[in-house]
Amino acid sequence: MSAETQALSPGQPIKVKRKAFSNTLSRVAKYTALRLVTLFVTVVIGIYLTILIANMGGYVDEILRGEIRERISVGVSNNPAFRDYTPEERSKYIDERVALEEERLGLNRPFAVRSFAFLRNALTLNLGRAINMTSDSGSKQVTLIILERLPSTLLLFGIANLALFFSSVFIALSLSRHYGSFWDKVILVLTPTSAAPPWFYGIFLILIFAALLKILPFGGMVDAPPPDNWFDYALSVLRHMILPSLALILASIFLSIYNWRTFFLIYSSEDYVEMAKAKGLNARDIERRYILRPTLPTIITSFALLLIGLWTGAIITETVFNWPGLGRTLFRAIGLYDTPVIVGLTIIYAYLLAITVFLLDIIYALVDPRVKVGGSGGGGA
Amino acid sequence: MKNRIMTVFGLLVVLSMVLAACGPAETATEAPAPTQPPQAQPTEVPPTPEPTPVPRTTRHGGWLDTITMVAVSPDAVVTQLQAGQIDLYASALGRAEDFKAAQEAGLQYNQVYGGAYELTFNPYGGGENGATFDQSTGKLNPFAVPAIREAMNMLVDRSYIVQEIYGGLAAPKFFPINSAFPDYALLADVARKLEAQYAYNPDKANEIITAEMEKLGATKDANGKWTFNGEPVTLIFIIRNDGDGTRLPIGDYVSNQLESIGFTVDRQYKTSSEASPIWIRGNPADGLWHLYTGGWITTAVSRDDGSNFQFYYTSKGLGQPLWQAYKPSAEFEALADKLAANDFTTLEERRELFAQALELAMKDSVRVWLVDQKAFSPFRQGISVTGDLAGGIQGAQLWGFTARYEGQEGGELKYAMSDLLVEPWNPVGGSNWVYDTAPKRATADYGVITDPFTGLAWPQRIESATVTVKEGLPVGKTLDWVNLEFVPEIQVPADAWVDWNAETQTFITAGEKYPEGLTALRKSVVTYPSSLFTDYKWHDGSTFSPADFVMWLIMQFDPGKEASPIFDEAAVSNLEFFLSNFKGVRITSTDPFTAEWYTDAYALDAELNVTTLWPEYGYGNAPWHMIAMGNLAEAAGELAYTADKADAKQVEWMSFIDGPSLEILGKYLDQAEAEKYIPYAPTLGQYITAEEAAARYANMKAWYAEHGHYWVNSGPYMLDKVFSVEKTLTLKNNENYIDLADKWARFAKPRVAEAEVDGEGRVTIGQEAVFDVFVTFEGEPYASADIAEVKYLLFNANGELAATGVAEAAGGEGQYTVTLPADVTSKLPAGSNKLEVVVVSKLVSIPTFAPFEFVTAP
Repeated sequence: MSAETQALSPGQPIKVKRKAFSNTLSRVAKYTALRLVTLFVTVVIGIYLTILIANMGGYVDEILRGEIRERISVGVSNNPAFRDYTPEERSKYIDERVALEEERLGLNRPFAVRSFAFLRNALTLNLGRAINMTSDSGSKQVTLIILERLPSTLLLFGIANLALFFSSVFIALSLSRHYGSFWDKVILVLTPTSAAPPWFYGIFLILIFAALLKILPFGGMVDAPPPDNWFDYALSVLRHMILPSLALILASIFLSIYNWRTFFLIYSSEDYVEMAKAKGLNARDIERRYILRPTLPTIITSFALLLIGLWTGAIITETVFNWPGLGRTLFRAIGLYDTPVIVGLTIIYAYLLAITVFLLDIIYALVDPRVKVGGSGGGGA
Repeated sequence: MKNRIMTVFGLLVVLSMVLAACGPAETATEAPAPTQPPQAQPTEVPPTPEPTPVPRTTRHGGWLDTITMVAVSPDAVVTQLQAGQIDLYASALGRAEDFKAAQEAGLQYNQVYGGAYELTFNPYGGGENGATFDQSTGKLNPFAVPAIREAMNMLVDRSYIVQEIYGGLAAPKFFPINSAFPDYALLADVARKLEAQYAYNPDKANEIITAEMEKLGATKDANGKWTFNGEPVTLIFIIRNDGDGTRLPIGDYVSNQLESIGFTVDRQYKTSSEASPIWIRGNPADGLWHLYTGGWITTAVSRDDGSNFQFYYTSKGLGQPLWQAYKPSAEFEALADKLAANDFTTLEERRELFAQALELAMKDSVRVWLVDQKAFSPFRQGISVTGDLAGGIQGAQLWGFTARYEGQEGGELKYAMSDLLVEPWNPVGGSNWVYDTAPKRATADYGVITDPFTGLAWPQRIESATVTVKEGLPVGKTLDWVNLEFVPEIQVPADAWVDWNAETQTFITAGEKYPEGLTALRKSVVTYPSSLFTDYKWHDGSTFSPADFVMWLIMQFDPGKEASPIFDEAAVSNLEFFLSNFKGVRITSTDPFTAEWYTDAYALDAELNVTTLWPEYGYGNAPWHMIAMGNLAEAAGELAYTADKADAKQVEWMSFIDGPSLEILGKYLDQAEAEKYIPYAPTLGQYITAEEAAARYANMKAWYAEHGHYWVNSGPYMLDKVFSVEKTLTLKNNENYIDLADKWARFAKPRVAEAEVDGEGRVTIGQEAVFDVFVTFEGEPYASADIAEVKYLLFNANGELAATGVAEAAGGEGQYTVTLPADVTSKLPAGSNKLEVVVVSKLVSIPTFAPFEFVTAP
């Protein structure tokens, strides 16, 4: 973060103010341009690294060639329809099929060439076609593969994470006001439970509520068969969301509350807060203006990153709950070495992250008057 | 105080999490593996299974009203079955802990015998001693020596693997044939003799290996480790750690055994993807590996495993570098070639060749076979369903015909598999995943149906069939429904269709293409019931017509023809291969509809030589109007049947059930309806009128309006709704189906014989001994008419095969007698002997073994 903070000094002459405004504009423009270029270069490097890693630097070509030949050879050899042919005829047929398949997957072109084609397509958001995967409805377009899974991902992780975020912040704020209370200690004690991932809780929740009590489903997004009318469908989806949401929330909430509580406690003990208390301001004003306001950039950053984090889903949690999310899509794409899908998911995440980081710089300046964008001098708040 | 309580509580929370995290790790499920369609091999006695007495029904179609199919993780299967969330799990489970849990939960199950595991050796041998690698500074490869590979059979305890690794869900395996399939039953006496010869004997194995290693110039160091040229002999063992997780403990066990006789083992744990470039694509001469934990899957009962020797032991098996390193003995290779090419004239000759090949396979041992897996598919009590012996429930052609709640008609079944709706469904080049094939099978109908327990074919939608083969070919007949004839020569009639002209859209006749005349090795004549064209309906209400047959015929050729608007490069080589054996087809009558098929390809069973024109396109069945829609979309370049063409043309892979394809198909359906389109009009115009065409398209539109997809078939269930993202679909009973629901009821359960041997526990050497054999099924006597043969093998106190023979029928159903003559018992040494009885059924290919131990004394 290159943004810097500077104390405001009111009451300067108008001329100085105009000059300062002009300087600010120029500084902001320069900063914006430089920031955009930096972010773009970061995205390019990130994506190319993803392509290299996903393809093991080109070694995946060898793996795919091996798999293609094995699959076709064994299929032909075990097919009684080919039994009446000589081994040479079978070999010829296998070679033809292998060549066709390698051509289809682009393996007849060097990986270095293909890697730059992947990069170009990614940067221009031309997500193209998957190599092996199809979308749930059967399309090979990467856009559809992603879009078909996006609503269910956003639904589950959106609701769970928003609930987690806001409840954490507000409970933490309350606890920070009651430092050392019984509930403060309870949260402190339960914080280590966040060491376990959501799927860990998921398994227990399934065992208790699905297997033992039989009051909630084991997994999936909706009853099978799905209800015909939308209202019942929505109710069914909500019912299926209870356990995975609970698992996601349980796995993080105590640590999250603990973090925010500690964060708020630090700000609560700042001198200016003590001063406000000494001046006799009421507790609500102190909380809103002297604690929440300066912590807003951090809260917004956390919230923004949470929102774009929804994009990635959660591989194991989705698997445990059989939830059709993007995490499983990515997992499957990695298993199948389906570079276009991996790159497609990564590039969108990278762009979202870059845009968020860029916007946050601006939002910081808007919400915190101490923050100046692109300044080269000045001191801290 | 409060702080202390909180501290203690906190510690308890942490402790409980740590303990829970220390539980056993879950393992992944087996990845899809290559499939093996059924093959042929005649049995000796024609069986006619007696239908199980089942009360007749008036219900048409399937037994159930609705089947809801869902995808469920294998890890949660037993729990979900117990909780009633699903009723049946059609994929196979192979873990012993799941089997135990299923048994404890009181679940029923079908057993699946298709999987096999083995040790694949790198047999490359170069250098002066013929046993060193090229690229690794002359490192030793002991497995270049056949005798060492052969001795490995005795170094591994297959029973240990079966019990300790598979928890009993496997059977010891010594040969490249499945012990549940017909060839093993046919050769049970030969197999048992060899199994005794190669039984676990680590001392003997060590003795042989030591002698061979010393011949190679290796020595043991002070620690008892083998060294060569001053360096330890390190065996690189690629051990698969994915799949069902059983190859990892197998690899560790074999490594321990090798280390126990002085080898150093470098255990390299790898997934399929990581291992594949090394063992299957890598050059064996490079010495990057010595052993690999191999695994194979067969998804249908194979009636002829004769080609397995060529495939697994000779360079002709595959073009891969590893196979090119196989150097079988000239005798073994000749035998393998003969068996692969059916180069024999009688079944007796085949049996003799097979017996020799089994023995030579053990001597060669480029693979040491370990176990035949016996996976299982669990389901709730009160459910009955057909499971294919090799493919399980999801791989059974008949599952949709037989699935039911016992004693009940109707109801809803929750049918689960480990995945569902994997790839687009289209009949010409769509999904071939078993998870998609299983629901397709329930919606489909067939000309003939494969017996899930023997691999033979039964007539379903045909009236009669006659197979004519050229004299001297080893073709036999088992069932009554097919006629088998032998003739000196089969002439292909001049008016038979032998090829397709894609430009004129007409068939080319034999007279046009082969004016000099044409002969074939096999002719199949099939007559179809006349009710097929009056009472038999597709799911959208369209009446079946000869055009459905002829469209299927055209599609065998047209996609592979460059002049065709639906030309597909991927279909060219398929067509070339098809044409190299295909000799012609002729429709001789339309009432009743009768068609002849001429070809040079043949199987050993007459039943498997019946070729129907039933519209099975390879990836699903379809009426002609469904294909017409697809062809229009493909010809317009908007969709493609195959993944290859879809990628090449950058268009969608055609799906008749969901996705962007539906809108495109709908557009061409509108066009076809408006134009009363008759596809391939120069040919199909003889079978379709414009009005019929319009009626079919209208039916399809009505179907789509109701169900939201274009998957129209004619089987006992209809594909009702598809929910792709939710991975769910529903099948509804086809009440208009022509057959009653109980037509295939006799295949609900395999009648695997149970056998018991009784007799004197003490036999006097030199005196005749008689033993009684009782063959039963679920406590009832097994009908003798359904038993092909009861053989016996006698092992003496030294474990050697002392005698073999055939038991005699004793009068009652399922009762046999084994008589050991005095001259046989006189050769038995004093001690404990084993009499092993082998029951071969006509109804199920799995042989039953029943041992009986007795002592001999003077």
